Amino acid sequence: MKILINIAFQSLLSRKITVFLTIISLTISIVLFLSIDTLRLGAKKSFFGNVKSGDLILGARSGEVQLLLYSLFQIGSPTNNISWESYQQISKMPEIDWIIPISLGDSHKQFRVMGTTKKYFEKFSYRKDKKLQFQSGIYFEDTFDVVIGSDVAEILNYKLNDNIIIAHGIASQSLHDEFPFKIKGILKKTGTSTDKLVLVSLEALEAIHKDWKTGSKLLSNTKSKEKETKGLDLTPKEITAAVIKLKSPITIFKVQREINDYQIEPLQAIIPGIVLTKLWQIVSITENIMLSISSMVIISSIIGMIAILYSNLNIRRKEMALLRIVGASPKNIFTLMMFEAFLISFFSIIFAVVLVQIASFIFFPLLDRQFGIFLEQKLWNARNLYFLNLVLISSLLVSIFPSIQAFRKSINDGI
Amino acid sequence: MNNVIEINDLLFEWNNKKQFSLKIKELKVQNKQKIIIFGRSGSGKSTLLNLISGILSPTNGTLCIKNTEINKLSQKKKDQFRANNIGVIFQQFNILNYLSPLQNILLPCFFTQFKKNNKEYFYDRTFALAQKLDIKKNILLQNNSKDLSVGQKQRIAILRAIINKPFLILADEATSALDENNKNDFINLLMNLCDEEKITLLMASHDTSLEKNFDTSINLEKVLL
Ligand SMILES: Nc1ncnc2c1ncn2[C@@H]1O[C@H](COP(=O)(O)OP(=O)(O)OP(=O)(O)O)[C@@H](O)[C@H]1O
Ligand SMILES: [Mg+2]
Repeated sequence: MKILINIAFQSLLSRKITVFLTIISLTISIVLFLSIDTLRLGAKKSFFGNVKSGDLILGARSGEVQLLLYSLFQIGSPTNNISWESYQQISKMPEIDWIIPISLGDSHKQFRVMGTTKKYFEKFSYRKDKKLQFQSGIYFEDTFDVVIGSDVAEILNYKLNDNIIIAHGIASQSLHDEFPFKIKGILKKTGTSTDKLVLVSLEALEAIHKDWKTGSKLLSNTKSKEKETKGLDLTPKEITAAVIKLKSPITIFKVQREINDYQIEPLQAIIPGIVLTKLWQIVSITENIMLSISSMVIISSIIGMIAILYSNLNIRRKEMALLRIVGASPKNIFTLMMFEAFLISFFSIIFAVVLVQIASFIFFPLLDRQFGIFLEQKLWNARNLYFLNLVLISSLLVSIFPSIQAFRKSINDGI
Repeated sequence: MNNVIEINDLLFEWNNKKQFSLKIKELKVQNKQKIIIFGRSGSGKSTLLNLISGILSPTNGTLCIKNTEINKLSQKKKDQFRANNIGVIFQQFNILNYLSPLQNILLPCFFTQFKKNNKEYFYDRTFALAQKLDIKKNILLQNNSKDLSVGQKQRIAILRAIINKPFLILADEATSALDENNKNDFINLLMNLCDEEKITLLMASHDTSLEKNFDTSINLEKVLL
């Protein structure tokens, strides 16, 4: 056995170039598959990771997908607001455990500003019950305190107690510059859209919009209005949406129906998981196409490997004949061929693993920053190991054919 | 009994090919005999050698090597028997380039005789024989056998054939690739070693000028029925 391993090794080494090219082609296809698969799962996870916290999302009646995208990802066009009274009414429903209001519409630089309450920090969870955590500071105490997501802090290079100005609307030139906010807290990275948010209290949003009732700023302009707002009633008039957690998930459809039948204004409640799944199905067609293309690439490189093993049979006929003469059995010849196939696929897999690992160090942070796809560094999960095993086993299975051919030939081939 | 090879009523046919058949009524080879086998191309010289080596099995008849009817042995036993008892020299010597000359020579031992306690013996034997054939130790130990000269290759091939102390050497057109000088060196070397090691030699060839070096010649076409 030892001699066969030795011979297999040396023989492969003597055919460096073909063997190397075979390994490279198999390696590339494995890397391709693993990357696409990791990306796909990572994207899916990032996508669904935003959703964990609530059972229902309450909003004004519009498209389900639109409400979902706007309230959870801050993507797409804004939905109508709902009145504070309705929100209060709904939140009194006995089935509700907690409800977090959110209010969107303003921005700071390229980031969205979201008004919410303290509960957002206590209750909001993502990816299997992870809670928001502060890397420094604390949530807002004063009206004009903000908490920023980790990406906001990193990209804009903000520190605690820096002052920031909020712009009216999205991509707007008009600033709420009479109300400087102070950064009170910076959140830890979550890999969700929260990383790209500037969070303020609902009261603060109400305060800075007091002058905006007609849609543009009234010129009532003393520089700092901070003091003026002190005595005022800052109860919000409207909010964009609310995340609802129920005491028991059994009541989910009942509560949904009640909200959808709400008489005073047109409301809707969506189940984020269901809407996301619908949305994902559309997206995943592309993913599946990519996945099948990369499987094809793997299959073709395995076939390439077999082709090389086959074409080597004739070239190596003398070598095999010699081995037979000096005492190798046809079974030994078969084992030798199989072992070569094993070495080729084994090394391809090892190289692929190393390459993917290196790529992950380089590209994961990039993907996160550019596309908000947060991938876990933990690449070698059961799924990927299963896949690698599958590659190994299928290449061995297919190699049986040229090996049998070698076995057959070696029965007749001697001197 | 002095016959190391005894063939009776042998019939051999390829499974897939009916037009060729090898039929031998009787063929006996005595111990330490040196025999050259002539016969035109395609007459079955290589086939006969393959039958004797046990690579091929006769369709009919008996073939005894050293009183062992080899085609009655199991595949594994047959392969072992060949490696232990028969040395083979190929036409182009068939040296594996990716192994060192030393590994090439020891190849038959790797598959059979090598045990912990006799490794030493075979290494010593290789070095001693190599010295006798004027092959330096550093040549034996070089990484691969790509750059050996023809002369070196032929001597390595002979060493490989005798390393396991076989009683029989089969050589198939072992001189056809050599020029006149190399051919004579090769034949002399082979004859001397066979005498020293008391080996029976069976060589297939087209070269009738070699006949004088052998005890007997067999014309295969005449032996065939
Ligand atoms: N593996 C094989 N399968 C089928 N037929 C074969 C095989 N090897 C050889 N033959 C056939 O067997 C016959 C004898 O071939 P063999 O090689 O024994 O001749 P030979 O006397 O050695 O010829 P040469 O002097 O050219 O080497 C030929 O007709 C050949 O075509
Ligand atoms: Mg021949």
